[in-house]
Amino acid sequence: MEMKRRTSSKRESRRTFLKSTGGALVAGAFGAVPLRGWAADPVNIGALYPTTGSMAQIGVGCVAAAKLAVEMVNDAGGIKSLGGAKLNLIISDVQSDTTVTRTETDRLITSNKLSAIHGCFASALTLIASEVAERAKVPIITGSSSDQLNKGRTYTFTPFARASQFAQAQLQMSKLVGEKPKVAVIFENTAFGTSTSNGLKEQAPGEGVEIVMFEPYSAGFTDASPLINKVKASGANALFSVSYLNDLILIVRTIKQVGLNVAINGGSGGFVIPDFYKNVGKLAEGLQGVAHWNHDMSDDAQKVNAEYKKRTGEFLFEYAGGLVAQTFMLADALERAASTDPQKVRDALATLDVSKGYAAMAPGGKVKFGPDGKNVYGHPVGVQWQNGDLASVFPKEDARSPLIKT
Amino acid sequence: MLETVAQAVINGLLIGGIYALVSIGVTLIFGVVKIVNFAQGEFVMIGMYISFFLFTQFGIDPIVSLLVLMPVLFFVGVLVQHLLIRRVLGLNDLPQIFLTFALSLLILNLALMLLTANYRTVHTWYSDEAFHIGGLYIPVAKLIAFILAMVLSGILWVFLHTTDLGKAMRAASQNRDVAQLMGINPNRVFAVALGIALALAGAAGSLLMPFYPAYPLVGQVFVLMAFVAVVLGTLGNVIGALIASLLMGVAESLGIQFIGADSGLIVVFLLLLTTLAVRPSGLAGGWRR
Repeated sequence: MEMKRRTSSKRESRRTFLKSTGGALVAGAFGAVPLRGWAADPVNIGALYPTTGSMAQIGVGCVAAAKLAVEMVNDAGGIKSLGGAKLNLIISDVQSDTTVTRTETDRLITSNKLSAIHGCFASALTLIASEVAERAKVPIITGSSSDQLNKGRTYTFTPFARASQFAQAQLQMSKLVGEKPKVAVIFENTAFGTSTSNGLKEQAPGEGVEIVMFEPYSAGFTDASPLINKVKASGANALFSVSYLNDLILIVRTIKQVGLNVAINGGSGGFVIPDFYKNVGKLAEGLQGVAHWNHDMSDDAQKVNAEYKKRTGEFLFEYAGGLVAQTFMLADALERAASTDPQKVRDALATLDVSKGYAAMAPGGKVKFGPDGKNVYGHPVGVQWQNGDLASVFPKEDARSPLIKT
Repeated sequence: MLETVAQAVINGLLIGGIYALVSIGVTLIFGVVKIVNFAQGEFVMIGMYISFFLFTQFGIDPIVSLLVLMPVLFFVGVLVQHLLIRRVLGLNDLPQIFLTFALSLLILNLALMLLTANYRTVHTWYSDEAFHIGGLYIPVAKLIAFILAMVLSGILWVFLHTTDLGKAMRAASQNRDVAQLMGINPNRVFAVALGIALALAGAAGSLLMPFYPAYPLVGQVFVLMAFVAVVLGTLGNVIGALIASLLMGVAESLGIQFIGADSGLIVVFLLLLTTLAVRPSGLAGGWRR
């Protein structure tokens, strides 16, 4: 499902991008290798993303990034310990649906000789894909943030910040805005909103942040004014909104209408993708959020971002950027394993320890997995919308621009 | 305190005006044609998208696009009546319910397929502006929407009470058989009723566009409130639906303000249930138009 609003030139550029990526793969498989007299078998990497259904927009971006990453690895000579073997990306559409994710993961594993898998963007889908991969003993690497992915699993690797760390980062960011932050937390009243907001509530005292309002609301309201009226009455100087995109758009616009002076932190997910700015426009300026990856946080990230932007017309968003780093982590593991056997790749991933190159493209610039599959150096990056772009502003080691106080 | 209450009432009235445009359409169709149009919300959605594309492609302000959009949706309404609803009239209720319900699902899923689930917003110069009076604020876009909603409702009332066609519609709604004996062509009257109802739904969509994001499911958000208003204001009663809509907007806003932000719908449905318990035929139960 492609965005109909895209201009035809953008669509064209994506098409040429796909063509050139495919071309590179074909050249790798049939062109260059036979000249040496023998063909290194390609290494099959499974990619599970929702390219149709409600999450399609992000899923399509992920696939574009996955292809770019594979092309980068192959152009750099493939896996040298396997005779320059090329990565072969096998993409599967999980249709934004948990049932489909289960059957597609199963089908992908049984009908292909896979060395590893990455996916699926949404935590709900990733949890299922991870279960299936664990049972089949195929390693899966993911940017999904659910803490559950680190419980009782041996083939699942999460190189980026966990959900529980996001709340802490948000609270710490609020202290950058003012000496004594008074925070209003508003959250949609289902699982997503309540679990995230409870994390904020639990960690607030430890961070020395006062929560002056803690209010659940029903998602999909017709009018944000009454809610914002309450925020105004609470005297808060910072607002954490755990919301879906449509509610967040209304909230941001209503705050402008009221003329309320409050620093907004929109959290993660729909808030840190290019579409948010398209919808909210200039009102997004100065809004803060948290992400597990951002396109400006290192020179390597900026390089990949420039290439992605050239091909798709948009900046490399959180999940897709992390995905490029993950592909290089897999390449690093394959290099050391010198084998396409999923068990050996898993063992090599478990001992991964990188601090430079594209594989280390994570906040902090270091990746090393603990026994629970968690990156021991993993932490989120605080971001702020500045001049239509998402700038890394927190913590200091990842910051590329100063935080603008609004 | 007084200021907070006043602000809550203003917020409620403003959104109530939008509920009114949707619910008047539903109640008009029910009153005249005697069917429930479950697809009314989807026509609000269509109105929003037409308005969105007119704005982004040609730079036409959503308020101005009413002039294009309302006639278009009127024509669509006539077609819906002529090609679909006419075929199932006179049968029992089930085919009628399924017809409009199917129409709703069809439009909704077509929109998901063709337009994707992405949010679309329009920024006009007045989108994020507000009048500030004392400690109160009145958003410009919502005020415009409210005023135009009241004007359109007023025009409809005058039409129903002063023109021959309007009187024929009221006659048909009171007693279809007698109206037919008096020489009123029911098909013509029904087609006009559908046309007006859909034009109002489209108008609601266009008026929403400057301050509310459009997405395929957006109709569902508003149609629920519209149905409550229709029942609360007595089925088939245009003025009843209007008053009930405003009342619900205010009740919802006060509920969020003083009970809790997830209580908006609780307050509205409590209002509906208590009203029905006291006056089973709705607020306007005694007097009909």
